[in-house]
Amino acid sequence: MTLATARIPVSGMTCAACQSRVQRTLQKQPGVADATVNLMMGNATVSYDPASVTAAALVDAIRNTGYGAELPSVDEDAFREQEERDRRTAEEFRELRTKALVSGVIGAVMMLPMLGLGGMTVMHSPAMLWMQAALTIAVMAWAGRHFYVRAWAAFRHHSADMNTLVAIGTGAAFVYSLIATAAPGFFTSRGVPADVYYEAVVIIIALILTGNAFEARAKRNTAAALRSLVKLQPKTARVLRGDPVVEVDIPVGQVMAGDVVIVRPGERVPVDGTLVAGESAVDESMLTGESLPVSKQAGDRVIGGTINGTGAFRLSATTLGADSVLAQIVRLMRDAQGSRAPIQHLADRISGIFVPVVISIAIATFAAWFVLAEAAPAVRGFAAAVAVLIIACPCAMGLAVPTAVMVSTGKGAELGVLIKGGESLQRAGEVDTIVLDKTGTVTEGRPTVTDVVRGPGRELALGDDEMLRLVASLERSSEHPLADAIVQHATARGLVMGAVEAFASVTGRGATGVVEGRALAVGNAALMADYAVDILPLADDVERLSGAGRTPMYVAIDGVLEGVIAVADPIRATSRAAIARMHALGLEVVMLTGDNERTASAIAREAGIDRVVAGVLPAGKVAEVRRLQEQGRVVAMVGDGINDAPALAQADIGMAIGSGTDIATEAADVVLMRGDLGSAAQAIVLSRRTMRTMKQNLFWAFIYNVVGIPLAAGALFPALGLLLSPVFASAAMAFSSVSVVTNSLRLRRARIA
Amino acid sequence: MEAIEWVVLAAAAAAIGWVNWYFFLADRRSQ
Repeated sequence: MTLATARIPVSGMTCAACQSRVQRTLQKQPGVADATVNLMMGNATVSYDPASVTAAALVDAIRNTGYGAELPSVDEDAFREQEERDRRTAEEFRELRTKALVSGVIGAVMMLPMLGLGGMTVMHSPAMLWMQAALTIAVMAWAGRHFYVRAWAAFRHHSADMNTLVAIGTGAAFVYSLIATAAPGFFTSRGVPADVYYEAVVIIIALILTGNAFEARAKRNTAAALRSLVKLQPKTARVLRGDPVVEVDIPVGQVMAGDVVIVRPGERVPVDGTLVAGESAVDESMLTGESLPVSKQAGDRVIGGTINGTGAFRLSATTLGADSVLAQIVRLMRDAQGSRAPIQHLADRISGIFVPVVISIAIATFAAWFVLAEAAPAVRGFAAAVAVLIIACPCAMGLAVPTAVMVSTGKGAELGVLIKGGESLQRAGEVDTIVLDKTGTVTEGRPTVTDVVRGPGRELALGDDEMLRLVASLERSSEHPLADAIVQHATARGLVMGAVEAFASVTGRGATGVVEGRALAVGNAALMADYAVDILPLADDVERLSGAGRTPMYVAIDGVLEGVIAVADPIRATSRAAIARMHALGLEVVMLTGDNERTASAIAREAGIDRVVAGVLPAGKVAEVRRLQEQGRVVAMVGDGINDAPALAQADIGMAIGSGTDIATEAADVVLMRGDLGSAAQAIVLSRRTMRTMKQNLFWAFIYNVVGIPLAAGALFPALGLLLSPVFASAAMAFSSVSVVTNSLRLRRARIA
Repeated sequence: MEAIEWVVLAAAAAAIGWVNWYFFLADRRSQ
């Protein structure tokens, strides 16, 4: 069976209960293998067997639950999908605002007599009461319609959500008022005043709609970072086309790989590519968080969406459309923002049982008042029961975690820290040990030759340049970064390299081979020992170079020690400050390197690292990470996404420090777009702040209900005579969701240093 | 307690029972 996947836009979901209802409905459909519904993104991702069910049938199933759903369009890309979602959210906000405003005005007019205006007796005349009933029906049917429709759809599926509470609360108040209007004698004959609650029904609907409107707007703000990324995508590109070749402006979607694209000063780079002519400095801050423009010359990679500085250049288009760096970031962000953090399970479990429990409490409240109250027990019990239904808010609980995940991943993207989801976010906040790969992470990753030391009297037999030429000829066949440094050095000196025969790379030791009939061995002391080369004459020099943080390599030609070439990889300018920051965060910093102990210690000392594991072969990194985990540590590993992929995958959190182009790396939980360690520290700080926000949100959402429900039920009445009116309860309910979302939005302004 | 109060208490207990049956048990049984 081949499964198809559809991402179906779903509208009208307001809380975790709505989400789980749509999800359960989809999972029950025949032919559906898996369904995940995303509340914040407003969509459902369904894996299904196209032979058993169609996407249209799935859309119908969602609509039957009372929510809106549309068939996904086939060619929807990440950008268009986000624009479409924005359009829907804006429409939803406008509709809620209009309904809230109109019902608020109607409710205020109906409340005038209660405030001593408009004449109490006039308003309570039968004609006016019927008028109020008619207005209330109008508000319920127009502004509050979706509460009742969705509550009914939920009820039919044996489930309940916020809409159920609002529908029962306002519905009960309305029916009670209608009986009091039609047959006041029924109440008065039993000594109970025939009170009506029409204005309360209208005001409750108005306040809840106001809360929903604020919530829709705040939720929209949580996606601000994603939206600003989408806006980075230019619409057109100027390319060279035709015969004779002319400059033409074409939509970005029509640019093909290999097209030459012209970028003028101050323009946004339209597509990813390699610079082929001209030079400039490009502002990449929007993607990497790097504040300084990055200089670009022929051969350098430029990323679509970044802003060209004062130079003009031409680039050859490379990755396009869905494969472009920007599209990958948008996709990663979109998936991350809708993902769930493990801490949310608690909220989900409570939301699932919340509404029936609240309905039970409301019934018990009415019965208790009816039995215990001395005056007007039915009326008071009824008001308290309605207040309980209205004040209980499952929405705040449903929003507590997803809004924080959404804002935080967006904030991360602004800083050039791409966090791949809620789970990664939560785990990164728990990290206590950070393991750094040396090359390319702590250091620049671009080693250069610093010293050439010769064996006693050897330069008379073989000149420095000739030795370097032979070594470079050998190392040209090696892929090791240190070998590359030697080749670069020889090329810069204009040396012409020869052919190599019988090349062999000895892992962890060096390389051997024959160049122009001479046998070469270049590597460490172990390699020299293998060939019985005496290294004693240069032992002091090697000691000195290692102590200075350089990597010395012995050179033996035809079995004679010719000299030592030292290569150093300078420490990044930002590493020291970043490592100090990690220490300040209470993290233990460990550096892994294949270098010898002395060189590694010298670099660690300079960078301020407290623990070094030297002489680690590439495969040993995984074992080292595992060893730390076995000691009970929560380990983050920072390394490049390709060579260090196994260690990144083994670590609790893998952070790929990148060139900004290998975002898709599977092994990493966090991608650091800016190539400096400071962003690793920022990722940890951001995660810790987010966890704090999530816990605050959950705490307030729980406390709000724990305090609000007994208050509404009248727990304080015996002691203080305090009883909450349903109208106040609806205001408090509206406030609770808004306060949770607002607390999450504070993360946007947080200083993450 | 008066008779009406007993009636209300009994009705409330029945309603609570029904709500919990309907939302927690009935759905599972129908699957």
